Amino acid sequence: MKKRIKQIVVIFIASILIGCEDFVEVDAPDYKIIRDDVFSSEETAKSAMKGIYNELFRTSFSNGTQYGVTVLGALSGNLLKNIRETNLTRMEFQQHEITPENTSNLFLWTSAYNMIYITNAFLEGLQSSENISSEVKNKLKGEAKFVRAFTYFYLVNLYGDVPLILTTDYKRNELASRSFPEEVYTQIILDLEDAIEVLPDDNNISTQVNKYTAMALLARVHLYNQEWLKAEELSSQVISDNSYVLLEELNDVFLANSQEAIWQISPAGRGAATTHTNEGNFFIIDPVFSFLASVKLDENFTENFSEDDLRLSKWISYNESLNAYFPFKYKIWNSNEQPITEHSMVLRLAEQYLIRAEARLMQKNFTGAIEDINTIRNRAGLAPLSNTDNLETEVLLDEIMEQRSKELFTEWGHRWLDLKRTGRYEHIWENNPLWEETDLRYPIPAEERIKNANLTQNPGY
Amino acid sequence: MKNNYSRLKWVALIILGGIIFFLSKSANAAIISSPLLQQHEISGIVKDEKGISIPGVTITVKGTSLGSVTNLDGEYTIVAPENGTLVFSFIGFKTQEIDIDGRELINIQLEEDIAALGEVKINAGYYNTTERESTGNISKVTAEEIEFQPVVSPLQALQGRMAGVEITPGGSVPGTASTIRIRGINSLRDEGNFPLYIIDGVPINSSPVETNSMIGNAGFDPLNNLSVSNIESIEVLKDADATAIYGSRGANGVVLITTKNGKQSGTGLEASIYSGVATVANRLDLLNTEEYLQIRRRAFENDGVEPTVNNAYDLLVWDQDRYTDWQDFLFGGNAETTNANLSFSGGSDKTFFRLGGSYFSQGTVYPGENSYNKITGNLNLNHSSKDDKLKINFSANYGVDMNDLFWSNSLSSSTVLLPPNAPEIFAEDGSLNWEEWAVSDLENPLAGYYNRGRTKTSNILSNLGLSYRVLNNLLVRLNAGYTYFESQELMKRPGRSYNPAEGEPNNSFHLNSHRRSWILEPQLIFNDSFGNFNIDAIIGATFQDNTNSQLRFQGAGYVTESLIGNLDAAERVINASSQTNQYRYAAVFARIGTNWKKKVFINFTGRRDGSSRFGPENRFSNFGAIGAAWIFTEEELIENALSFLSFGKLRGSYGTTGNDQIGDYGYLDAYEATPGPGGLYPVSLANPSFSWEVNKKLEAALELGFSKDKLNLGISWYRNRSSNQLVGYPLPAITGFNTVQANLPATVENSGWEVELSSLNFHTDDFRWQTSLNFSIPKNRLISYPGIEQSSYANTYRIGHPVNISLLYQYEGIDPETGLYKVMDINDDGSFDYEDRVVIQDLTREYYGGINNNLSFKNFTLQFLWQYIKQEGIASFFNAGRPSNQRDIVLDALNSNEDFQRISQLPSFSQAYNNVLNSNLPIQDASFLRLKTLSIGYNLPESLLQSFRLRDGKIFIAGQNLLTISPYLGLDPELSYSNTSFANLRTLTAGLQIYF
Repeated sequence: MKKRIKQIVVIFIASILIGCEDFVEVDAPDYKIIRDDVFSSEETAKSAMKGIYNELFRTSFSNGTQYGVTVLGALSGNLLKNIRETNLTRMEFQQHEITPENTSNLFLWTSAYNMIYITNAFLEGLQSSENISSEVKNKLKGEAKFVRAFTYFYLVNLYGDVPLILTTDYKRNELASRSFPEEVYTQIILDLEDAIEVLPDDNNISTQVNKYTAMALLARVHLYNQEWLKAEELSSQVISDNSYVLLEELNDVFLANSQEAIWQISPAGRGAATTHTNEGNFFIIDPVFSFLASVKLDENFTENFSEDDLRLSKWISYNESLNAYFPFKYKIWNSNEQPITEHSMVLRLAEQYLIRAEARLMQKNFTGAIEDINTIRNRAGLAPLSNTDNLETEVLLDEIMEQRSKELFTEWGHRWLDLKRTGRYEHIWENNPLWEETDLRYPIPAEERIKNANLTQNPGY
Repeated sequence: MKNNYSRLKWVALIILGGIIFFLSKSANAAIISSPLLQQHEISGIVKDEKGISIPGVTITVKGTSLGSVTNLDGEYTIVAPENGTLVFSFIGFKTQEIDIDGRELINIQLEEDIAALGEVKINAGYYNTTERESTGNISKVTAEEIEFQPVVSPLQALQGRMAGVEITPGGSVPGTASTIRIRGINSLRDEGNFPLYIIDGVPINSSPVETNSMIGNAGFDPLNNLSVSNIESIEVLKDADATAIYGSRGANGVVLITTKNGKQSGTGLEASIYSGVATVANRLDLLNTEEYLQIRRRAFENDGVEPTVNNAYDLLVWDQDRYTDWQDFLFGGNAETTNANLSFSGGSDKTFFRLGGSYFSQGTVYPGENSYNKITGNLNLNHSSKDDKLKINFSANYGVDMNDLFWSNSLSSSTVLLPPNAPEIFAEDGSLNWEEWAVSDLENPLAGYYNRGRTKTSNILSNLGLSYRVLNNLLVRLNAGYTYFESQELMKRPGRSYNPAEGEPNNSFHLNSHRRSWILEPQLIFNDSFGNFNIDAIIGATFQDNTNSQLRFQGAGYVTESLIGNLDAAERVINASSQTNQYRYAAVFARIGTNWKKKVFINFTGRRDGSSRFGPENRFSNFGAIGAAWIFTEEELIENALSFLSFGKLRGSYGTTGNDQIGDYGYLDAYEATPGPGGLYPVSLANPSFSWEVNKKLEAALELGFSKDKLNLGISWYRNRSSNQLVGYPLPAITGFNTVQANLPATVENSGWEVELSSLNFHTDDFRWQTSLNFSIPKNRLISYPGIEQSSYANTYRIGHPVNISLLYQYEGIDPETGLYKVMDINDDGSFDYEDRVVIQDLTREYYGGINNNLSFKNFTLQFLWQYIKQEGIASFFNAGRPSNQRDIVLDALNSNEDFQRISQLPSFSQAYNNVLNSNLPIQDASFLRLKTLSIGYNLPESLLQSFRLRDGKIFIAGQNLLTISPYLGLDPELSYSNTSFANLRTLTAGLQIYF
């Protein structure tokens, strides 16, 4: 009997041990693709780049909603005003009293760094891949580097010193401290120069990054860093490409695949039934549902337009019941229609003229500067400036800044960044008791500092 | 993987082959080797002291596995050797042994055992034990205590009944998952603290079922599809000795649910029905319109700000006389409950069954038509061969439920705080009123009113147990289980439910989930005696496979509302996602129980476990425990010295268990599809090297019985340490994501005392009073965390303090100059952040317990359970001046500023209020004493029973949460950190139970 028990036990245990080890091995589920597999074929690698474009429309900082650069920057730049004063999250931006706990500010920061991660992961995956032709590899690399540089451009301009994260290794990154703006800019320029080198100059599709897209952004970066010559050269290259045209009809500028567009983000990335841009949805005050509107243009801004400025009549609209002006660059408030008719504009030709105008002016090329200013004035239906007036640099610079604000209002925080980089904020807010010099930088989100003790706060918060 | 399946096939074949081989061998052996004893048939009737026959008494022939059960009339027949001994046993009665002595008729009278401690059988999972002999800590609740409680999930019925078991309801909507914590929080992750649920031997995924509905984050309780009235018992395994046999899944304790079994031979029918109504017992004391407006006007006066349409719509636009009690509006309704059960049992002594069905429905207290309906069916079948060597048990529980809910997130606390003169919900034409609300920057609180959600789930739980006694002392057993859970959710979302600005087309949201699992557990069970030394051993293996899948999609652009849900009529289908996750688990386990004269017990348990949730290098681990008990009153010396003791036992255990409750595939660095077309993106950070969380449990206990076991006292002390914490480790967003799965070098300790006392206070023929009490003092501490200062948990946890804490500012008082609340700026840097949060607030219970009383007088029974919890909570809503309602105590701020800051509508005052809300100021005592259940029953008298030809019958009324005594100012002290949440409805039901 003892023997039989032993037999049974031995067979039993032996059979189990054979099975256990392998039994618990499972395959990856079909909704996940291992990172290595993503970069093992050109199709999937391209799909990962498509994913970046898609996510740019969903992620807060770039999607044109009230958590993105466009709206928050316009509130900070005193272009937009909240219709009611009860939404504290938005009011804090309007009043330059942003608390470190502000949720919009947190979304802005978090989403930007998520995009940084996605581009870093993409670049790492591409680097180690062997099955992708160098042609495709170069193109994809250029696109991802552009998006990384683009994201850092807003981080460094909104927050000042920011952590410069270039890998996906969270163990290293979780305690990263902030880098000086100069270091961040060095990386931005490096990425953009790389991108220019490897990207094709094929610019048929406005939602895809190409050589000119990278040049356009780099021109802006050099302008911000007062590298006038470089800024001029790059913007000239973009302007001289025949495929970009300053459209006569202002109502057509923001359409999908507009010829003025250097880069647009498509609402297809939303992955939902609605097809309008978020800017259109947030800015437009529908006459029937005016009670739903949240923001309007600041009266001080709209008053500045001369009556015959086409941008006043075509890009700004008025709602009577609220006595409110609102941005009307995008015409669609709400739509489910296919195909998509408006894309969210990120970079366009008009800005390049204004960049060159400023860069030329700073190099004392008055004629060139006035020529570029007049291109913009002309399109807006305004009389050209005359070269013979012997205009002073300061006056011309004022004119450029004025054209920038009228041309680029409620686009990507231009006004706020211009005020900051030129020091012009001083005149605007010197009498505002709530204004402090330290308001120029947004606060590092409190939640972020809880998790990373090395993250210092900007002064004044 | 392919390899894997073929291996599995081989294993199954080998096991089956082995079993068949031995079955055939030993079947032959049995016939040849059994001694030729003179077998004859014995029959008789078993009665109690009053002469009433007892059905269901187990009769066994001593020393064999032969057995029988009495039928409804107490009659039995059994075949036994002439010189054998019959053992009669039944719960609540003293076991009797009678020698046969060649008799053919044996009628006996069983003596009631007033405190039959030793006989209470306890299900310990893979084996059974008794309270007397148990070396582990297992709490038990039986059918009588829970069967008529008007709750959806059986877990809710356990509140207040067990020491060391905390159950917090998830919310007020029927079907919402409750939170259950056995001996505290072990894991730093919330979802890492689920206990293991086992129903009739089959493990059930204990994580809540995902839903789109307004239940929101909590999800549905996976035990909803069980009928509470079909549960025989619920056992909770707590210490190492009891849980180690579940290895890596036992860290958070184990909940064993056993469904009812056909007990007796002969046929019987049982029917019961009850019905009742539930309401929210409590209200917040908020301002009425006049008071509210007075405060608001004062705010503008104080601030010197002119009220305008933009900042004071409530003063200038809205009706100044309108008053809506938003609490009444939101949760002032009556929720109706009905339950009906029918079960039928019968069979012979070798084959018996129980077939049952139930219906349950419950409404909600919210506006609109919401209801929860559940229908269950169950079958339990037992068969044993003539020689009792082969035993088969089959049980199947099937349940369907249908949860019809008004689907919207807007039934939230913010509605309660709407200004009392806020506009009407509906416009004159009956549609939702948007305009008046939007003017004030508010959403209509009933946005989503026309949405309808319906969740249908069905669940089959089946279990097949086969056992064969190969040799007298060796049993081969195979336990096989299959479960299939399906949930189909359709949410209809017509565009008119929503703010027209959102331009929502008519949408439908679909969510289908499936959870399928199978389990195979071959086991060998061996027992033997060597003189006074007894040994019981069990060796087994587990193979388990869980496949969870989820399909989500959205139908958009239906032309009319009536077509919503009909996908053919949708313009397109979008946001589709489908996921299938597989989880596999394999283990070998053994338990060897030894005892000396049934006096000293030592048990060893070991298990080797593998889980697919970990990276290839970290899949396997070993767990084990040792448990010992000494019944010292069996020692003559002690028995004489401590004669006041009728029973005394010392026991202790130590061992390790683990925890693998973390998402599947966490080790994979993978991409998924973006919502936008054609894209891929990374959705999380990957860590290939995380592994088990290890939980070391230590326990010591003393169990005493006094005056013939009329008073029983059990005191246990435990200390569980959870290390190698498996967490979604929070990361700063600069890493790309907020979290990554990892093992933390942290140790969490749960220790505490538990007292269980049961006493039979009175016992006469007419009157009986029994009291049982449980009391727990839990203590939770983070005892070590090297490098916490440099980690992202630096501002979340404090070493030496509980895991569940919040860090708060120190309240200083009201600044006499500004009139603002002031909290202490510890580092004097002019701003308030985590460096200033120096007050450590413990959010856990200090101690808790329950006292249950059962009284019976003649035909009347009375049962009531008091639940007590000592804890703290927060009372907010004292920010006078902003456009939202507040508690009425802020009226004091009109006259003095001693307790409240100046009434103001300025943002800086809101900021100060927010700071003070995160300080120690609003912390208050939230302890409560609650009459958790109360029921009064009347057993129908014999005369009445006879005239209706009933065997037994009872009518009862029952109440839940009838009375709560608490200083807490929020709605429900049980949810003491959320002022406006409530879960414990005041319920009153009445019903009838009869046996034919």
